[in-house]
Formats: sequence, structure tokens, C-alpha cells
Amino acid sequence: MITLAHIRITPSETWLNGKVVSNSNINGIYREFIGDYPKFFKMDSLCKLGFIAAELILKGQTPELKENASIILFNRNGSLITDRNYQMTIADDHFFPSPALFVYTLANIVTGEIAIRHKIYGESSFYVLPHQDDEMINDVVNKAYLTSNPSFILTGWVDYDDDDNYVADIKLVTK
Amino acid sequence: MEGVMITKIADNIISPLGCTSEENFKAVLSGETELKKHEGTFGLPEPFCASLFNRDDINKQLDYELRSVGNLTFFEKLCVLSAKRAIEECNLSPRETNVIFILSTTKGNVEFLEHNLSDQRCYLAESAIKIAKYFGNNNSPLVVSNACISGVCAQITAIRELLSGKYRYAVVIGGDVLSKFIVSGFQSFKALSPEQCKPYDKDRIGLNLGEAVGTMIFKAGKPSNEGYWRYVACSIHNDANHISGPSRTGEGSFRVLSDILKNIGIDEIGFVNVHGTSTAYNDEMESIALHRANLDNVPINGLKGYYGHTLGAAGIIETILSMKAIENGVILPTKGFGTIGTSYNVNISNQVRKTDKSAFVKILSGFGGSNAGISYQKGGKA
Amino acid sequence: MENLILQLKNQIIEVLNLEDMTAEDIDAEAPLFGDGLGLDSIDALELIVLLEREYGIKLSNPAEGKQIFKSISSIAYFVSKNRKK
Repeated sequence: MITLAHIRITPSETWLNGKVVSNSNINGIYREFIGDYPKFFKMDSLCKLGFIAAELILKGQTPELKENASIILFNRNGSLITDRNYQMTIADDHFFPSPALFVYTLANIVTGEIAIRHKIYGESSFYVLPHQDDEMINDVVNKAYLTSNPSFILTGWVDYDDDDNYVADIKLVTK
Repeated sequence: MEGVMITKIADNIISPLGCTSEENFKAVLSGETELKKHEGTFGLPEPFCASLFNRDDINKQLDYELRSVGNLTFFEKLCVLSAKRAIEECNLSPRETNVIFILSTTKGNVEFLEHNLSDQRCYLAESAIKIAKYFGNNNSPLVVSNACISGVCAQITAIRELLSGKYRYAVVIGGDVLSKFIVSGFQSFKALSPEQCKPYDKDRIGLNLGEAVGTMIFKAGKPSNEGYWRYVACSIHNDANHISGPSRTGEGSFRVLSDILKNIGIDEIGFVNVHGTSTAYNDEMESIALHRANLDNVPINGLKGYYGHTLGAAGIIETILSMKAIENGVILPTKGFGTIGTSYNVNISNQVRKTDKSAFVKILSGFGGSNAGISYQKGGKA
Repeated sequence: MENLILQLKNQIIEVLNLEDMTAEDIDAEAPLFGDGLGLDSIDALELIVLLEREYGIKLSNPAEGKQIFKSISSIAYFVSKNRKK
């Protein structure tokens, strides 16, 4: 596999291809670099994180290449951050289940948000692992080529514990 | 594609209709369903129609059949029992290093959030590890969490692991149990039908949820017996359209079908087993995708009228039942269907039909704009 | 009615996460879906929850929402006629 680009986002620093490009939090990065996608504010934290990472790392990729790209992401928490928020809307004494939260109680929605924004029609897959295991991630991603032929793969780790603990560690790779 | 042959060597379904694949197939063939109205269940204020395990009965069975389950949850015990039965069927040694466990689930143990928002059992990977450990397997298991298409994606993940040569056997388990969390969410989406669902019917008004677990075991290499099931092709595509609404053009599903049809002729396919959730949009979208893929005349069927939508199990149990159907030379009826209610007049029926074909295609679509499909062919003739 | 309209605008901005928008930015007569505010099907479902939680109004048939959710004005009119709290 050849790595075309790499991004790492944490609460304090955003690195793009080895250089710090921002010290803002997720909303701050959106305002600094994006700003034209109001749907961003409807997303849950995991989707916002994945969305921003994709936005920065996909800059410069042509629509033709993006159409046939794949998105294969991994994390530990799944959608737990939003699962907890949704759970709070269904308490016995305050039962008003929120559809806008429920739709984000699936970790793979982040792959969908990225696909929608960039018109990516290739594979979108989400795996949950016990911890960030780059060897395993590379292994699974490499094997995707056994049954598909994407132009490139947007892949990596995107995990949201809470507002002080999150990480996106994502790269674009080709065969 | 790759030279290695991948075959399915064992399977199991545990559902409200039975505890083996055979029991489930017979129940479906005779039109049984456990879809019924539940009031007050899970502490929900509104009634709902679903296919649920009888908790007392199934717990008795789990206690009887599983020893040394330690601290396994209800969901994990069901997965273990299903996998155990499939493993025994093919005499697999699950602790060997050439065996990988793959779990397909959307929400796992999410019900425990109700009492503790930081309950560790809600981490999906923890469930997979406990299940693999039960069988003495120390390889890192994979959890596929791709919403409604997880069951097919888990099979695809297994196929890739075996094609690569890293593992020789893959145990693929798919399951979900229902809870206040899941049912209230679908209710808030106004996606549920208050009565038994009607896939592809003009009067369909929504889906039913259901509980089930299923297991498929795959092997890489030459099949050891006649009458094996061989993996043919698979595909996953996104609609790039909307996170909860399927594409109006069926784009992702169409691309999935197109990929698969590059590897198998339409004349070899006995049927396409569709997702057929019985929501207005899903079934309409699928009919468009089938039409675009020139599959209007190929028989299709859907099994949600027997089980409801079983989430992480759906792709697994519907694939197993499709295999059983081909083995018996039949196309299972689409229970609940009466009069076509999609834009394209696809070839669907509520009657048992005969087929002498050896292959089928299974497709699924789900939240996140995801679509997946897989095709298998029965060996011997091919 | 003016107060109800303002209240609804603020509630909608909050529950639908219309970041960077204030009540003054929303024309009470403008369409909420399609061109106007660009709301989608999930937003419509969330508005149903809002009516129930804040005003005790249960919409049994989501299709009714189409007429009611045309604009802030139409929601205010419906709420004023049907509110239970």
C-alpha cells in the first residue's frame, strides 16, 4: 500500500502530512477551513470528527477518483457517545426519543456523511476493535483489494470518547 | 478473481421460529411467524409488532446447553449457542490459530446503558472477545458494525480473510436483541408497522423488528464433500445520498448488483433475496435497482414477513435460508406480499415456487446509505 | 401569536442545530423545507417530537406534518389551536 496523505486530529492539534495546520477544536477547524456545509452542525461528534478529517485530507482529489473510492474506518467506541445522549431522551419519566440522535447511534453513519459530501460511491465499511491496532487496520484494508478495486481508500481510526479525548488518524492509500 | 475456493461448511439459526437452520427453514416454508403485537414490553409506552424470543424459554435453553458461560450477557449467550451448534456440525477446532471469529451486530449490549451510561459491556469489541474466548480462540476478532448491511459485510470480511490465506476458517456470527433503545428509535422514525409487514405490497406502511442470531462457518480450500456452497462474488457500495433515506435511483444497490452480475450469469440465478423491509422507500428503491440491473424477470423474495428486520442477524439468516431453499429446489414465499406496490413490476410472489437453479444473490441496504450483496452457488454442477 | 412565533423560532434553532442562525434570520412565512431553511426528513421527525414535548401535541400520522410544517407561521397557528400545555 502507498500512503498518499495523512491527517491526525486531536483536541489540541491537527497535523496534515506531518505539519501542524491548526490548534482549534472540531468546530473551530470547521470554521477555519470549511464553513459552507450547515449540515455539519446536525452531525454527532463522531461524524463531525470524521467529516473534518475527510474534508482536509481529500482536498485536491478529483471527483472521478472520489467516485470510485472506498471508506473503511475503525474505532473502539462505536457510536457510544451518541448512544448515551439518545438513552437520555428515553428515560421513563421523560420519554421523548429523538430521531435526530437515534440516526447517529450507528458508527457507520460517519462513512455515509463523508460519502454524501464527496460523492463517494465505493465501499463504505465500519469495524469496531478493542483498541487502535494499526497493523490490523492495514491488514483489513489491504484485503479489501481482494474483492474490490477502489481508486483509493480513505481509512484509519476515528474515535470519540468525550470532548477532551478524541482522535482521528486517517490516511489515503492506494495499492 | 482469486484462485482459492471459499465454501460454507456449517450454519445455524436461532430465532423465535427455531433453534436450528433446518427448523427455521421448515417453519418459513409452512408460513409461520412470531411477528405479533407487544404491549408494555421493554417499558415502552406505545405497542409495537415484533418477533421476540420468549425470554423464559430461551433462557432455560441457554442455561441447559451452555456450561461455564461466566459473565456472558443474553446477547452474547445467544451468539455463543449459535456458534457452538455450527462448530459442532463441522467438527471445527475453534481454538486453532487458523480460525478467526467475526461478529456482525448493530447494537450488541446497548440495553445496559439504561442503568449505567458507562457500562463496559456496551463496547462491541468486548462482546466479540468474550465470544471468541468462550471457544478458546485467541485471535483478535473483528466486529462489523455497518448498520443493516452488517450481516453481508461480515461474510465479505470473512471471504477476504480466507482469500488472503491468513486464516483457513472463519466463524461469522450475526445477531441483535431488541430493547427499549432500539424499538423506541425506530418508533421515533415512524418506520414501524403496527401490524405484520407487507414487503413490496401496495399497502405496506413500515417494517417490523425481530430478534435472531445466526452463524456461518467458511473454509478456504478444496471442499471435502459433495453439495457444498461456493462463494461467487460480493460487493459493497454507498448511495452518497442521505444518511437515513435510500437513494431515489437505487444507485448503491444497482452498483452492487452490477458488480455481482459481472461474475455470474442472470440465467444461473434462482432468485434474488432482497432486503424488503416493507418501508415505502426501501422496497421502491430496491425495485428500481433490480430494474436497472435487468433483473425484472428474475424471481425475488424477502423474508421480513417471517422474522421482521433482525438487524445484525438479517444478512446471515437470510443467506442461510436462501441456501436451504436452493437445496430444496424452491423459492421461499414473500410472506405479507399481496399486490405489487413498487414502480417496477418485479417478479415477487407469496407462493412457494420451484427452481432448478444452483445460485442466488442476497442484497441488503441500510442507514448510512450503505448497500451490500453477495452471491453463492451450489457446487457439483458449476 | 408574536410571542409564540418567537418561541418556536428559538426552539427550532435549538433542536435542529441551526448554528449561526438567530430568530431574526428566519422569516415566519418562508418555507421550512426545500429551498427555505433546507430542512430534511429527519428534521421533520424532530419537529414532531418538539410539538409533543413542548406543547403536548401528538401527531399520530406523520403525513399531517406536511401541512403543519410549511412555515413557522403555520406551526404557530396549529400550536395555538391544539396545544395542551
